[in-house]
Amino acid sequence: MHPQLQLLVALQDMDQMIRETEESREQLEGLGFKHEGLENLKRAREDLAGQIDPSLGSWYKRLTARFGHAVVPVVGNLCMGCFASIPSSFVSKTNIDKVQKCESCGRLLYWP
Amino acid sequence: MDIVEVLKHTSPALFLPDLKATDKASALAEIVEGLVAGTSIQNPDTILQMLKSREHLGSTAVGPGIAFPHGRTLAVQRLTILIARSRAGVDFESEDGGPTHLFFVLVAPPQDSGHQYIKSLATLIDRLQDGDLRAKLRDAADYESFCAALKGD
Ligand SMILES: [Zn+2]
Repeated sequence: MHPQLQLLVALQDMDQMIRETEESREQLEGLGFKHEGLENLKRAREDLAGQIDPSLGSWYKRLTARFGHAVVPVVGNLCMGCFASIPSSFVSKTNIDKVQKCESCGRLLYWP
Repeated sequence: MDIVEVLKHTSPALFLPDLKATDKASALAEIVEGLVAGTSIQNPDTILQMLKSREHLGSTAVGPGIAFPHGRTLAVQRLTILIARSRAGVDFESEDGGPTHLFFVLVAPPQDSGHQYIKSLATLIDRLQDGDLRAKLRDAADYESFCAALKGD
């Protein structure tokens, strides 16, 4: 996987964790979980974001604001964001020179 | 969600009867190795990073001798539950400071219908309040007897 894509996936996982912690805090704390490290996690998120290429970072930000998730999996040659078909020539493993975008919706593509 | 429903997300290949690790970092690494070996998951580094991030938020060792590492990641396409056990105990930075012997690890995709993942977590936590059950699980000979105990058979 492209190293920048690896970072973007980790960033998105972290963003979701932060969002879910804030949204479902009461429910999760009711189960016994404590979230005293939330500020640390936010700092770790900023450190990670700092390692991402600025143009990809701003693309990630724009798409997240628009769709909720900027990086989506490709399953059965379909973009799981918009269900457009992805040319098989896009397969990530042979294409390590850049992060691939869906030609139809622009989301960043990840092959799980 | 009942326990039978929850156990549909695990399998004998996702049961690690005795972890070698005794500290948190190596336990998480061993757990992720187990996830990769027991499924078709391709991207262990992403899962490991997510589980570590979750521990930054606060230890998931919230029950007596039990931890519930969990979270969502793009690296999985369906809710997957791994069960691990440690006879010696792992220092998982638990609330009460005691060693952790049982691990229920839940990894879920970014979106899951009907919040299966949180519901499964809640079901497991509720079920594991029972101290006799916890003792049975620590002694269970294999995956089948472990699940039978969890189901209350
Ligand atoms: Zn698309």
